[in-house]
Amino acid sequence: MFHHWDKWIKHRFQKGIPSSLRARAWQMLSNSYELIEANPGKFEELEREQGEAKWLDIIEKDLHRQFPFHEMFAARGGHGQQDLFRILKAYTIYRPDEGYCQAQAPVAAVLLMHMPAEQAFWCLVQICEKYLPGYYSAGLEAIQLDGEIFFSMLRRTCPMAYRHLKKFKIDPILYMTEWFMCIFSRTLPWSCVLRVWDMFFCEGVKIVFRVGLVLLKQMLGSVDKLRELQGMYETMERLRNISPDFIREDLLVQEIITLQVTEALIERECSIQVRKWKESRGELTHRPGRRLHGTRAIFEYKRRAAAISSGGSLSFMGNPIPPPGPLRNSSRSPQYLTLWRILLTQGSGQRVQSPAPNLCGPDPPTIRWVVTPPGHHVSRWFHMSQGVNCG
Amino acid sequence: MAGGSVSECKEYLFKVLVIGELGVGKTSIIKRYVHQLFSQHYRATIGVDFALKVINWDSKTLVRLQLWDIAGQERFGNMTRVYYKEAVGAFVVFDVTRGSTFEAVSKWKHDLDSKVKLANGNPIPSVLLANKCDQKKDSSNNTPLMDNFCKETGFLGWFETSAKDNINVDEAARFLVENILANDKGLPYEESNGERIKLDQETVTAESKSGCC
Repeated sequence: MFHHWDKWIKHRFQKGIPSSLRARAWQMLSNSYELIEANPGKFEELEREQGEAKWLDIIEKDLHRQFPFHEMFAARGGHGQQDLFRILKAYTIYRPDEGYCQAQAPVAAVLLMHMPAEQAFWCLVQICEKYLPGYYSAGLEAIQLDGEIFFSMLRRTCPMAYRHLKKFKIDPILYMTEWFMCIFSRTLPWSCVLRVWDMFFCEGVKIVFRVGLVLLKQMLGSVDKLRELQGMYETMERLRNISPDFIREDLLVQEIITLQVTEALIERECSIQVRKWKESRGELTHRPGRRLHGTRAIFEYKRRAAAISSGGSLSFMGNPIPPPGPLRNSSRSPQYLTLWRILLTQGSGQRVQSPAPNLCGPDPPTIRWVVTPPGHHVSRWFHMSQGVNCG
Repeated sequence: MAGGSVSECKEYLFKVLVIGELGVGKTSIIKRYVHQLFSQHYRATIGVDFALKVINWDSKTLVRLQLWDIAGQERFGNMTRVYYKEAVGAFVVFDVTRGSTFEAVSKWKHDLDSKVKLANGNPIPSVLLANKCDQKKDSSNNTPLMDNFCKETGFLGWFETSAKDNINVDEAARFLVENILANDKGLPYEESNGERIKLDQETVTAESKSGCC
């Protein structure tokens, strides 16, 4: 039964989350809301600290350079920029060893378009630590490793694109760095960004791999398309500025869903690439095993952590990634149930409109949120769905 | 054809890097040079970005300048080896209103010279850009100091630029291209694309030539 649940939930998110529920769903899926509950006052405490000048300098330089045409971030010193500063600064204090990476800013900005600063902060924490660990760390090893994994997968998914990129010596980090680090927030039309993020929060990094592969397939996957791309520059130009004509939301999502790129495949390819890395470049500081593949893995991880703290078996400690397979009974936590209920209340199979489907400009449309009343309880979230978050 | 020559027109493709600390205006300089535009609303560069400028250098020479806009945050320094590959020229940019960005110039120059070289082993020609000169506060004359700095660090020369007010951007590019062309010994460039070989395309392999502005 539980694996039916799991499938069902996944399918719900593939259909897109209603914009009024998106903020809560993302926090539920990433389990970030629980961090807020577990760390009352922590965000305020981080805000009160001064922070290191070297990070603050860089963050300040970046504030006006995130979605500069978006209403929320356009005004210098406006609320959007202030909130962005608050959460990026807070992160450098929360994880002084990590500091700040420029690619975190667009991710944080997308979160802020949907939720207040504190919630966005914990959501960011989950992305940086559970979904994409190492992506923003000094050395950027994780993203480079994923570049190699990605390229190797391309060989199987779309040999034509693979051969073309190889022929022109276009290293994956030349085009996928921004795609992956910003979770396509600066690449795709806005309605697609939201659909991708919905699936990403549910299923994890494999969605990012799939989107990248689908894009390359669409742009470099036929003789006709390659005919115009007779050199490295032409190819890079095409990949860097993806025309919205190439992207149709429904087709993109359909292709992402059907592409056979699984967690197991990513993990297998990862170990191959780690070995190659060690042979050619030496030791890796990054530990790829920390990555959790989506919401199921996050809840499973949490359950295991709880088992440890209550004196349970330690036999699984060597492997933080739960084995693939159906959900265990114990994953039926109240939060998971709530998530499920949120989705149930949305009727079945209806297509969900993004806030502004015809807006494919460089910046997303503004989404206004209203701060959820203090003292609310998680289990009541879905009852308060209307009007909390309107597109 | 008269005189038996195949074609008098030569076409070059040069990869030029634009590097320097974060927020010094690398993207702005490129946008100004390529699109004759300036905006306050550029996004921070993540990884690397590209632009192409086609220059009708003279009646017999066409230059395609491929400008590589490299992210300024130190963290991306780990990827610069890939970005720098096969470059034949570079601009190192700093912001005249922020001293720390000038202090980082030597670090960038060193990174450049250690990771990319011309075919003959010489460092690639590079020019220093003192950007945002429209916002310069003191009007003191730094020319001898800067000339000396360039000589010591191995820059061909330096320019005070403003992407905003369009000061010296074209001049600096012209100066760099002149030097890249002067280095050219005319070895035929074999394009990696096997289907379409340009007989007239060439690349730079010659020694770096010292110069000043």
